Amino acid sequence: MWVVCLIITAGIAYTLITNPRYHWSTIRHYLTAATVLKGLWLTIWMTVLVMLIATILGLLVAVMRASKILPVRILAICYINVFRGTPVLVQLILWFNIAALYPHIRLGIPFTPVGGNLNTNALISATTAAIIGLSLNEAAYMAEIVRGGFNSVPKGQLEAGDSLGMSEAMKMRKIIIPQAMPTVIPATGNQLISMLKETSLVSVLGVADLLASVQLIYARTYETIPMLIVACIWYLVVSILLSYPQSKIEAHYDKSSRAILGKPLPTVEVPHA
Amino acid sequence: MPEQSAPTPSMEPFRPAGLGDTDGPGTVQIRKLVKSFGANTVLKDINVDIAAGEVCVLIGPSGSGKSTLLRCIDGLEQIDSGVLRVNGEDLGYIEDATHYRPLSRTDRRRQRTQIGMVFQQFNLFPNMTALENITVGQTLVKRTTRAQAKQRARELLTRVGLEGHGNHYPAQLSGGQQQRVAIARSLAMDPQVMLFDEPTSALDPELVGDVLDVMRQLADEGMTMLVTTHEMGFAREVANSLLFMADGYIVERGDPREVLANPQEPRTQQFLKKVL
Ligand SMILES: Nc1ncnc2c1ncn2[C@@H]1O[C@H](COP(=O)(O)OP(=O)(O)OP(=O)(O)O)[C@@H](O)[C@H]1O
Ligand SMILES: [Mg+2]
Repeated sequence: MWVVCLIITAGIAYTLITNPRYHWSTIRHYLTAATVLKGLWLTIWMTVLVMLIATILGLLVAVMRASKILPVRILAICYINVFRGTPVLVQLILWFNIAALYPHIRLGIPFTPVGGNLNTNALISATTAAIIGLSLNEAAYMAEIVRGGFNSVPKGQLEAGDSLGMSEAMKMRKIIIPQAMPTVIPATGNQLISMLKETSLVSVLGVADLLASVQLIYARTYETIPMLIVACIWYLVVSILLSYPQSKIEAHYDKSSRAILGKPLPTVEVPHA
Repeated sequence: MPEQSAPTPSMEPFRPAGLGDTDGPGTVQIRKLVKSFGANTVLKDINVDIAAGEVCVLIGPSGSGKSTLLRCIDGLEQIDSGVLRVNGEDLGYIEDATHYRPLSRTDRRRQRTQIGMVFQQFNLFPNMTALENITVGQTLVKRTTRAQAKQRARELLTRVGLEGHGNHYPAQLSGGQQQRVAIARSLAMDPQVMLFDEPTSALDPELVGDVLDVMRQLADEGMTMLVTTHEMGFAREVANSLLFMADGYIVERGDPREVLANPQEPRTQQFLKKVL
């Protein structure tokens, strides 16, 4: 088994090194080129921003999904199904072309003359469309993750809250959300890493992310494969950097329940003022 | 006579001697209570009065509806029909001159805080320390100040024999300690009726005593208590009345020592022969 693996690895390494069409010198040259780094930076902040919006929105949708009020619940279910049931690429292009559907956006109070019109094309740039599209799509997935977390809270916990006379909102804040965290946080970490790669889709809207910036270069130089390798190297590096804290977090939540058990702490209570 | 028939309604209702009011704070009044889950009618016709300061132990075979009855009294289950008055108020309803009206959410929550429930599985909040478990209801629901709530929580911890354990998380406490924190958590809401659903059944035998001691102390202080338990010793020594349930009916009720020594109904005799 070892031998087979070694032979395969050696084979791949051999062709990587000896095949001149990989243009390793080109790769080295462009890896830290200003355009590429600018694209990388946009990819990173867009990933973070999208995940931030999606987490907050996803939490909101999950709370709605768990609502006792039927219309609210139906709204949440529709949201989740529509955004998960259609390709994210199509959603992105739709947001990019939203001006065709709503040429003007009116800011103001609905059904009253208060407010003013804004030109949609001016308001929604390619980057905004990309952020909106990815966030709304990701929020649907986050909502399902958060819902899974909510469902992992034992029924007895909620009954204990009921018995104390807690309202739905109090139970949500003090019992459900804190107890759902151990399942939600690691899953969110996974989503973050997926999102890093998913942002490459925004290149179709002409947003200058990592992929779009290497495309820009190879459109000029025809060094397609080396430039794509440049992009892959960066995606790989950032993924690995992100998965390190991710594995730490997972290990933490894996252990926390076990580590506490059977390790009695000294019975001193910190005096409070 | 079929074995599963309802007890004769003419049976003289048992009233333990020397106890307080039968209406008002600390009382439970149940008339013709029916509760079903789908097609399964679990409580068929429950009639019982618990006086203020009474300690009533519920026994009966598994599935006879003991937990369901306690959960109805705590408002965790909606009853199908009948009258259920706790602390002198109809649970979830208000009676005016002409009809019953459902209570607002807020009023229903207020009624709940006046009834304490202790669960077999403790159900402490694992994300909070013992102290936080006891303060959370006070600060959130009763709107006591944080300092007062902490003060009260420390007093209650001392009372259940857990002084200095306030900073421990439930996972750091033994089952018996967790159950005593759970009792303190309920007491922090100043309930007038306490319900215990098999409070010692999930505990190692050597930890049962500590929890029973706390319950005994609570009984001595005059708390109205409804307890389902297999601890016949507790029933004999602490309870004022014993209630035997089977198949959704109250089959027999009486003084615990008398019923345990000399049960009148055949169902009770059968059951006690198995468990004693
Ligand atoms: N939420 C529920 N949904 C459906 N059926 C239920 C539910 N809760 C209880 N039951 C049924 O009600 C019946 C009585 O249950 P209950 O838990 O009250 O019995 P019990 O007397 O407490 O028994 P045990 O001694 O085992 O605790 C059982 O047949 C049970 O299956
Ligand atoms: Mg039970």
